[in-house]
Amino acid sequence: MIEIAALRKSYRKSRGLDGFSLGLENNELVGLVGPNGAGKTTLIKILATLLPADSGSVRVSGHDVSTEPMAVRASLGYLPDVAGIYQDMRIGEFLEFFADAFRLKEPQRTTAVERALERAGLVDRRNDFVEHLSLGWKQRLLISKILLHEPKLLLLDEPATGLDPLARIQLREQLKRLHTEGVTILISSHILSDLEDICTRIVFIAEGKNVLESQTAALGPGARAAAIRCELEFEGSIDDVDRVMASFSGAQVLERKNSFLLVEMPGGSKEASGLLRTLLDAGITIVHFDARGPGLEERYRRTFGEHGR
Amino acid sequence: MRRYVTNPMISKELRQRLRERRSWLLPTLYLIVLSGIVVCVYYFSTDTGRRLRGAEVQGADIGQAIFLAVVFTQIIVLLLMGPVFSSGAITIEREQRTLAGLLTSLLTAPQIWWGKFVAALLYLLLLLTSAIPLLALSFAFGGVGPLDLVKAIGSTILTLASICTIGLWCSATFRRSVHATASCYAIVLVLTIVTAISFGMLYAHWQQSHPEDMGPPAYIQAPLFLNPLYPLLTLTDDNGFRFYVYSTSSWLLFAALGCLAAAFAMRRLRRCGEQL
Repeated sequence: MIEIAALRKSYRKSRGLDGFSLGLENNELVGLVGPNGAGKTTLIKILATLLPADSGSVRVSGHDVSTEPMAVRASLGYLPDVAGIYQDMRIGEFLEFFADAFRLKEPQRTTAVERALERAGLVDRRNDFVEHLSLGWKQRLLISKILLHEPKLLLLDEPATGLDPLARIQLREQLKRLHTEGVTILISSHILSDLEDICTRIVFIAEGKNVLESQTAALGPGARAAAIRCELEFEGSIDDVDRVMASFSGAQVLERKNSFLLVEMPGGSKEASGLLRTLLDAGITIVHFDARGPGLEERYRRTFGEHGR
Repeated sequence: MRRYVTNPMISKELRQRLRERRSWLLPTLYLIVLSGIVVCVYYFSTDTGRRLRGAEVQGADIGQAIFLAVVFTQIIVLLLMGPVFSSGAITIEREQRTLAGLLTSLLTAPQIWWGKFVAALLYLLLLLTSAIPLLALSFAFGGVGPLDLVKAIGSTILTLASICTIGLWCSATFRRSVHATASCYAIVLVLTIVTAISFGMLYAHWQQSHPEDMGPPAYIQAPLFLNPLYPLLTLTDDNGFRFYVYSTSSWLLFAALGCLAAAFAMRRLRRCGEQL
């Protein structure tokens, strides 16, 4: 769906992207994570045909973004970080205008507008002015707008900014639903818990470069990892714990801090239960055990500790 | 071509514009001003004029006076309004953060520009046509023919279209509406006042060396060809040849200026993504 190779983009005083590469398969829901100024928005803008790249290649749905921008626009929906909306238009008019802007002909135009109203939950409010909607409803309307022409790819730049918790939950549910409908989504966000919940893959970006890529336990078959990481906190002697670890096949201590250990081992939750049982059988008091491994927040802290500003 | 006629931008822009309070306030004020001018001109042409000259006033004189007063007042008022409607057209999309939505739709930069241009010009044309009954009053007095009306309106439309393209260029170039509007007004001022001053200086210099000549040659009048009021000034010229030659030169210059501004505006619009 997206092929990005050695992408570079410089501004007058700074570098937006510095040899960034990424590939997105169909029906992936990928989170883009990085500190401010890492190049997330630049990347999304290049994909959305708003910014020209200095070098490198970008293809969306098989079309080159620099030479076939119209074909690219026809295949994607883009929601900017601060998306504006025509406050002085009625909800129905707003959707009809964008249906026309995406060159939808009757009867598809009417069908698309009706479906967008249903998707946004605004069927009964089609004659209301947009300015009367709350921020959460406006965001739903904007997402419905970018889905009018049924794009196969969505580019969402900080879509949860400014939303209240309920609106954020609704947004997450909407994105999950779209993902199950087969839409590929690239989402940039600073709300890591949201990304962890919905994304099949997280891409870390800093200073315009790829930093790390990881699968999440969220959705899709691609999410199943070959190894599992366990965080554990214990009471007692470290030597006893080390002895158990040494006897447990494949277990490797990645991080050690006082009575805290981060362990990686082959397998899944079954193997993690085995490790916990072995530790308890050895008489070690476990005060905390988390087989989900370090969360996205922890990985973010570790990854961007050195890049963060 | 069909896409430019059925451009969704035009209906969107007109709908938004006609929902503003100023959409009915401006035509009202505009017609009040023009009516006031007509009443004043009529009064001065008949009563005061007769007293001052001590002569019988001809109906044709009143008709011409009303016609020219309305024609010049409306172009001055519309020249002041043109930048308001055109120079904010693209910057407002940028300020409202809606431009990204347009640029990532299947609307091309020329289509966006065309929608903005037509909507701005149509509103000015609405004002222009609303004043036709006032202009037609002059027919009742005589001295003015339908051809004069056509020439005056045609010339005004062409001038306004050029001003709208300049306004849209300013709008595509600047990030803020206030800067775009100020720049457009500066350009309109240069075109109306600086060209007139330049002509005045050239004419004064030329007259010193040609004291007995009746009128300045074309090269002395050249700065005026870029003056929005100039084609209307030649309306009063009895010499039809001069009207057509000089006015046509002026119209061609305005058309060229408009095309240039439109080309630059579309170029800027294509690169607007970097400013979003």
